[in-house]
Amino acid sequence: MKRRAVYSFFAAAAALALGACAGSPPHKDNDVRVAIYSDPSSLSLIGNSDLNSSQIASMISDGLVAYDARGHYVPMVASTWEISPDGTTVTFHLRDGVLWHDGERVTSRDVAYTVAKARDPATLSRSWASALANVASFETPNDSTFVVHYTAPYADALEPWRLPLVPEHVASKDANFLSGAFAHHPIGCGPFRFVSHDPGQRAVLAAFDRYWGGRPAIDHLIFKIVSSERTAYESLLLDELDLLAVTPDLWRDALNAPAAARLARFIYYRFSAWKIDWNQNEATPFFHDKRVRRALLLALDRKRFAETVSAGLARPGVSSYPPESPWADPSIEALPFDPRESARLLDEAGWRVPSPGHLREKDGVPFEFTLILTAGAQEIADRSAAWMQQSLAEVGVGMKIVKLGSEAFKQQRKTHAFEAAMGTIAFDATPDRFDLYHSTANVDGFNYGSFSDAEVDRLLEEGRATVDPAARRIVYDRLQHRIDDLQPLAFLFQFAQPVLHDPDLEGIVPSAVGLFQFTPGPRAWHWSSARGRN
Amino acid sequence: MLPAIASRIATAMVTLFIVTFVVFALLCALPGEPQGGDDASRPLPPEYRAALRAQYHLDEPWPARYGRWVTDLLRGELGTSFSAQQPVAAMLKERFPVSAGLNALALLAMLGIAVPLGILSAARPDGPWDRAGWIATTALYAVPVFWTALLLQWLFAIRLGWLPLSGISTDGARHPSAGFAFADAAWHLVLPAACLASGGLAYVSRFVRTNIVESTAGEGGRAARARGLSMLQYAARHGVVQAVVPLLTLAGFLIPRLVGGSLLIEAIFNVPGLGSLLFDSILSRDLPVVLALTLLSGLATLFGTTLSDVLILWLDPRVRHAR
Repeated sequence: MKRRAVYSFFAAAAALALGACAGSPPHKDNDVRVAIYSDPSSLSLIGNSDLNSSQIASMISDGLVAYDARGHYVPMVASTWEISPDGTTVTFHLRDGVLWHDGERVTSRDVAYTVAKARDPATLSRSWASALANVASFETPNDSTFVVHYTAPYADALEPWRLPLVPEHVASKDANFLSGAFAHHPIGCGPFRFVSHDPGQRAVLAAFDRYWGGRPAIDHLIFKIVSSERTAYESLLLDELDLLAVTPDLWRDALNAPAAARLARFIYYRFSAWKIDWNQNEATPFFHDKRVRRALLLALDRKRFAETVSAGLARPGVSSYPPESPWADPSIEALPFDPRESARLLDEAGWRVPSPGHLREKDGVPFEFTLILTAGAQEIADRSAAWMQQSLAEVGVGMKIVKLGSEAFKQQRKTHAFEAAMGTIAFDATPDRFDLYHSTANVDGFNYGSFSDAEVDRLLEEGRATVDPAARRIVYDRLQHRIDDLQPLAFLFQFAQPVLHDPDLEGIVPSAVGLFQFTPGPRAWHWSSARGRN
Repeated sequence: MLPAIASRIATAMVTLFIVTFVVFALLCALPGEPQGGDDASRPLPPEYRAALRAQYHLDEPWPARYGRWVTDLLRGELGTSFSAQQPVAAMLKERFPVSAGLNALALLAMLGIAVPLGILSAARPDGPWDRAGWIATTALYAVPVFWTALLLQWLFAIRLGWLPLSGISTDGARHPSAGFAFADAAWHLVLPAACLASGGLAYVSRFVRTNIVESTAGEGGRAARARGLSMLQYAARHGVVQAVVPLLTLAGFLIPRLVGGSLLIEAIFNVPGLGSLLFDSILSRDLPVVLALTLLSGLATLFGTTLSDVLILWLDPRVRHAR
């Protein structure tokens, strides 16, 4: 036995060595290999979720609804639904013939189990717990009907129901949801079934033959866990990956590298932006006046920066409703570069230049503030900050730059212990911006700058409670104009996401919600019939 | 000897607890908290946040939380990881063989190259082998390990395509036996092990060389040469034996590396060992995992130094008789 093991070791070593020396290409099946940069924090579909685990969960299990590529809701496990006229109740009718990967039928009891689990703090279902916070109660009148009641009219009543469903008959057997058997081998009702997870190496999913929406065209979707963006890029060049979202630096490298010439490429914009929070609380004297906030943005030649420094991979930010959002009001445009208007507004707000070459002052206070940002986040953030510093100096405003560790940065922002903070923000496809602008969202929300405006508060509350889509659009158009006038935050840029992929991999549709978390997503990916002949 | 070892263990245990106490205090003093959840597109509901704080006892003063950890430890429980929500002991068990395998390979490579090099250098001090060996190993020692790693990756994985770029197993490989799986892992670990070994070559080879040269200059060396043995023959037959005892002392300090893993190398080569676990756990403020790894590393140091003491005692009669 021992001798056999030794022989097989040497045989394997020899085979591997011969294969490597001969430079034979790795064998490719009908699989697609993509990179993620850390292990998924959990495979329990809804628990302890981070970005990687949510991405994988959305492949393994469907929700009642999903986004399409444009961010509109489309039916998934629920084939139809009705929202009550007062917006407090939604009745979902489940599709016939939706199966779990073990062959059992999906019922409304599974939906109820999933909601109860997601709302349990022990599940650590962070984003879903927030989305389900307004749920007052739910019921399952029969196996194919699920009814949910909200505490108040809720216009985004469908948003929480993208939640991936969990099979009660499997998951409920575990005493501990996050560390039991289900969390190690999840079963869902989505287009891909779970096959294996080698910690630190890869998670492998396989096409589910009996998927209600039709079997995916590829056989396996492999999430390779790679330690760095550079290693992932090298792996793509070595044909060890098939698709990769890259950083701007690697994108530039790929434009010139001969080894990358064979790759197909595209860029797309996501529902995200680089923004600056201006602290408007009592302790900070600079940003209370909307003229000042507007003036600071007018002093920045964002278009030029986007074209030169970021090599065309950015565009000036417009607002918290990026152009890809179905709710964006097209009449609102990004503020232009206008240093003269900037200087005029600052003068008007009382911030005047005492003598040439000096910083502006008001009541003896020089206009010099500190911008905090995360150290080592992205090179482009450092460049943006340095360029801002230079541009603001031109209009007599001083800016110091302080880089912090990510936890210290979050802490300072959350406790409002900063003057200006640069960071990214991601949006979902809904128009609700309550957590960003409402005056009460400065405690547990994202209103880090303590912005407060009664009209904005009223519109945010009205928008949440207005169910009729046409009426709702009017409310959010008003909100966008009000926000455009007040400029509570500076939306500096929207950075593009560059993607490189094997030219034979087809059917990739970029969406503002990413490449995965919408339908059909990877289900539509397929290898070209000409593959291997190129 | 036994009382000395017992005393060393007692001292080490006290030191270990002091170290874990300091690590605990430092991690608690850092900004941020586990499961902050602020990266989500929606903020956490306040009651959910409160439940999380209660679950992790974050509202208790940190000395009380440390006391809770020590009590659990005395019951044989290492706790549950904040990030992965898995038992810490299971996580260590899963990752230990990877780090141990990588470092054992590195140690073998280091000793396999450094000892013969030390013997060759000692055979003719200041001769061409000695000088060439010194230059080569010092250059390897001076180059930052991440740079060596990137160079090796570029040359052997990207340029020549002889070795895998990263990871510890081949995608989609269906191994017919455990031997194939083991060979696949070993194949993937060649570059990281070479990288880990490169830094230690200089001091181990110089260490061996110095010990042999010193013993050659002594009475034994002179007597051997009088019997007609060449320097190389003497170094190979007797010098190595003379160098074994100090080499064992050195090896005692290398053993903790088998457990502690190599943070940088594991990160660059995507090796899922204890080093990369420690790195991730520090970033995510995963206290139970950081403390368990600190403890494990301390215990390995204690084990390594004690083992080398016992081996020296067994191998070297001078030490035995001196006691």
